[in-house]
Amino acid sequence: MSIVGECLVAFIFGSVVGLLVQRSRFCNTAALRDAILFKTYRNTKALLVAMMILTIGFTGFLTLGDGNPMHFDVGLNQMVGLFLFGVGMVLAGACTVSTWVKSGEGNVGAVWALLFTFIGMFLFSLLWSYNYWPPAPVSMTGEPNLAALQLGYSNAATLQEKYGIPAIVFGIGQTLVLLVIYRAILRKERQQPGSK
Amino acid sequence: MEFFRKTLDPVIALAVIAVLDIFMFLIIGAWTVGGGETMMTGLAAQAILGDELQRIPFWTMVFKPDPGYWKIYISLGMLFGAFVGAVLSKEFYLRYPRHLSEWVLITIGGLLMGFGIRLAFVCNVSTFFGLTPEMNLGGYLAISGIIAGAWVGSMIYKRILEG
Repeated sequence: MSIVGECLVAFIFGSVVGLLVQRSRFCNTAALRDAILFKTYRNTKALLVAMMILTIGFTGFLTLGDGNPMHFDVGLNQMVGLFLFGVGMVLAGACTVSTWVKSGEGNVGAVWALLFTFIGMFLFSLLWSYNYWPPAPVSMTGEPNLAALQLGYSNAATLQEKYGIPAIVFGIGQTLVLLVIYRAILRKERQQPGSK
Repeated sequence: MEFFRKTLDPVIALAVIAVLDIFMFLIIGAWTVGGGETMMTGLAAQAILGDELQRIPFWTMVFKPDPGYWKIYISLGMLFGAFVGAVLSKEFYLRYPRHLSEWVLITIGGLLMGFGIRLAFVCNVSTFFGLTPEMNLGGYLAISGIIAGAWVGSMIYKRILEG
């Protein structure tokens, strides 16, 4: 597909997402924060349903050798980076999606959060240019590199390749785990005072 | 139109987004936001710093500024879609944080989000709507990080709420 075609598909997808998120008030921050602080799960349930559909869809197509999975080595930086992100999103009251969506609704605080997200990224680029960690994607090998705290590359497709078991089988397993969590939330909601 | 008068069930909204994300996965790649934001940061920095930006290796080795990077347009699309939704449902109006403390929290939160995304190579969207459904090991590492971070953030938030 041409670059213009890719950008067009991305824009159309983004527009539909922006519209649906705006109309549903979905928020990824609330999906975690509200479950932790207020024991309410409106957004958590939506997140889990999406993850179940995506797991079946992605692993199904990976079984057939289709799709464009993200391809880079992973390591401790994913855990530490998303820890910082998790603290930040609760303090800012918005994640990457809701900053854009709230900005579109005229929320100046969300625009401010976006501005400082960009500044945070630029500050990280200065730090990276000093210590070169985590390794740049061009230097990634897919194999563990413990000196650089990297564990290599693995997903449902590599599991299929390694064990000869279709990726969808692993996907069904993950979906069942997500379903158990979803059902546990429904049970908890029913036990809450004021539930029907 | 009913769609613009009532709040949509987020389960339905996210189910539709998930199906569309599978199509995206087949065509160009799964939904992500952090990569596009990083590229926008690079383009903005290039506009301000010009050729000086090339003295920062990150912007030549990891993210070379490129306006044709498709992930940018997901974010711009979300902004556009939300704007249309807000205008048609008469929910568009300028809102400002009321207290100085809110501005401070948003500033710190924004900085942590930007720094965290680049350190991790992924954002929350790639974690929940890309890596983990692909069963990438990075998705599980990122989920454990974001849950721990959200818990710490929530405890800080709770303390602030309690005054």
